Amino acid sequence: MQQQFSEILVSLNQFLPELTVIMTLLVCLILEIIIRKKSSVVSAVAIAGLLISAYFVYLQAGRQELLFSKMLVIDPYSVYFKFLFILSSVFIVLFFDLSKEIDSSTHSNEYTVLILSLVLGASLMSSSINMLMMYLSLELASLTSYILAGYTKKEKRSSEAAIKYIVYGAASSGIMLYGMTLLYGFTGSMNIYDISLFLSSESFSNPFIIVVILMIVAGMGYKISSVPFHFWTPDVYEGSPTPVTAFLAVTSSAAGFALMGRFFITAFASSFTIVGGYYQVIQSINWQEIIMVLSIASMIIGNFVAIWQKSMRRLLGYSSIAQTGYMLAGLLVANQLGITALLIYLGAYLFMNLGAFFATMMIVNRINSDNIEDMKGLAYRSPVVCTAMALFMLALAGIPATVGFIGKFYLVVALLQPGSGLIWFAIVLMLNSVVSLFFYFKVVKKMFLEKPEEENYSRIDFGFSYNIVLILLAVPTVLFGLYFTPIVKWAEASAVFFGIK
Amino acid sequence: MFADYGQILVFMLFAIAFVAIAFFVALFLAPKKPSYSKESTYECGEDTEGETWVRFNVRYYVVALIFIIFDVEVVFLFPWAVVFKELGLFAFVEMAVFLIILILGFVYVLAKGDLQWDKPQPVIPELKRQIFKVDSN
Repeated sequence: MQQQFSEILVSLNQFLPELTVIMTLLVCLILEIIIRKKSSVVSAVAIAGLLISAYFVYLQAGRQELLFSKMLVIDPYSVYFKFLFILSSVFIVLFFDLSKEIDSSTHSNEYTVLILSLVLGASLMSSSINMLMMYLSLELASLTSYILAGYTKKEKRSSEAAIKYIVYGAASSGIMLYGMTLLYGFTGSMNIYDISLFLSSESFSNPFIIVVILMIVAGMGYKISSVPFHFWTPDVYEGSPTPVTAFLAVTSSAAGFALMGRFFITAFASSFTIVGGYYQVIQSINWQEIIMVLSIASMIIGNFVAIWQKSMRRLLGYSSIAQTGYMLAGLLVANQLGITALLIYLGAYLFMNLGAFFATMMIVNRINSDNIEDMKGLAYRSPVVCTAMALFMLALAGIPATVGFIGKFYLVVALLQPGSGLIWFAIVLMLNSVVSLFFYFKVVKKMFLEKPEEENYSRIDFGFSYNIVLILLAVPTVLFGLYFTPIVKWAEASAVFFGIK
Repeated sequence: MFADYGQILVFMLFAIAFVAIAFFVALFLAPKKPSYSKESTYECGEDTEGETWVRFNVRYYVVALIFIIFDVEVVFLFPWAVVFKELGLFAFVEMAVFLIILILGFVYVLAKGDLQWDKPQPVIPELKRQIFKVDSN
C-alpha cells in the first residue's frame, strides 16, 4: 500500500502540466460564480494558467517516463502534442473573448472551464498507453465538445448541432469501446505495448482483427472527422459559434490524431524496433489499407463537396475533412518520416486553420452572414482582414511561401520514399490539392475581384485587439513558410514514441 | 480459435433453456386463482392513483444529475473511511482535495440557481366586468 502511494506521489510530480490545467479550471469556475458577467479577467486567468502549464510541459521535453502504473507516458511525441493543444487553446480563449456570438447571458464565462477541460482530455489522449485510459480521455474531450457545440443555448441551430454531434458521437464511441473490448479479449491486455507483443508473435492469427480495427477506427475517425464518420462536421461547423468550430477543427482533431498515431504505431506497427526508419509493420494485419481508404475518401469527398458550398463555415468544414485526408497519409506511411510529416502538418494546420476561422469570425460578426455571396467586394471595405483571409486560404491550399506548403511538401516526401510503393497515392494527394485551389480561390476572388454591390460602401474597421490576434496568426503562417527549419527540426525530434528504438 | 467460442455457445444455450423451462413449468403447474386485489397494480400497499404513464417534470433530471455527484462521493468515501487509520495523513489530504472539488461543483450549482424549484405562477381568475346584476338584499 505504502509503495503504491509513493508511486502515485512520484507520478504526480510528473503530472504538473495537467494539474496546472485542473487548478486553473477550478479557479475559473470560482471566478465565474463571483463575476457573473462576460469579463476578460476570466480569460486572462485561463491564458495565464495555460502558459504556466506550457512551462511545465517544456520541463518534460526530451524525457521518457511511465506514469501512474503504466497508464500514461511522457515522451517527445506527447510533449509536442501538449504544446499544440495549449497554443491552440490560448488562441481559442482569445477568440471567445473577442467573439460577438457569445451573448452575455448566465453562461458567459463558462467557456474557459470547458476549454480547459478539453485541453486536459486532449493531453491525456496524447499520452495514454492503456486502452481504458484512452477511452476515458477521449470521452472527457468529447463530452466537453458536445457542451461547447450547443454553447449558445437560445440559438436553435446551435442546439441542433449539439444534438447531432452527441448522437453521432455516442454511437461511434460505443462502437470503438466494443472494438477495444474485443481486442482485449484477443490479447488479454489493455496495455498497447503488451498488445503489440502479442500481435507480433508467430502463433497469432485471427481474421477478426480487421473487424476490431474497423471498430476502433470508427471512434477515432469520428474525432478527426474522416469520411465515413464525417456527417456531423458541416452541420456542427455551421450551427455552432465560430470559436467553438475553430476549437473542434484544430484542437479536438489534433487530439484525435495524437491518439490514432500512438495507437496504430505502437499496437499494430512496431514491436519496439525501427529498421531503416520503418517500424516493424505486422504483416498479417493490413491496417494500412483501412487508413488508405479513409484518407482517399476524405480527400475526394471533402474537396469535391466543398466546391458547391455557399456558406463560409460549411466550406471550412468540408475543407477540414479534406485536410484530415491529407494528414492521414502521414499516418499511412508508418515510418518516422511519415509521423514527422504528420506532426509538421498539424503544426502548420494550427496557424492557418485558426487564422481562417478567426478571419471568418470577424467578418461574420460584422456582416451577420456567412454566405460567400455576401462577402462580395469585402476587400474594398476592410482590406486588412481580407488580405489575411487570402493568406490563410493560400496556406490551406498549399501555395509555396506559406506554412501549408511545408506541411504538404513533407507529406509528399514521406509518400515518395523508395520502397514505400505509394507514388500513386502522392499523385492522388496532389491532384486533390489542385481541386482544393478552386474553392479556396473562389473566396479570394469574391473578396478581391468583385466590386461591392452598393455604390458608396463604407469601410469596416475592427478594433486594435482583433488586428493583433490576426497578426499573431498571420505572421507565423508566412514566417514558418519561409524559415521552416525550427518547426521541421522540432517535429523530427518529436516523432519518438516511448520505448520504440 | 472458434472452438473456444463453442463453450460459450453451449453455456448460452443452457442459460436460455434453464430460464425457459423454469418459466413454462411454472406456467403449467402453478394454480390459478385470480382475484381483484391480485390483478390490481401494486403501489407500496397504497391505492393506485391515475395512470402509469406520467410525464415527469424536466427539473427532476437536473436534480438526478446533481445527485450523482454525491452518489459517487459516497462510493469513494466509504472504502476510504474503512481503512482510514492505516492510510494516514496523505490519504486524508487526498480525500480533502477530492471533496473540495466536489463541493465546489455543488456551490457552483447553487450559485447558478439550478436547484431553485421555481413553481409556475398560478393564474387566479379575476372579475373584469360584471355580467349579471347581483341583488344585494
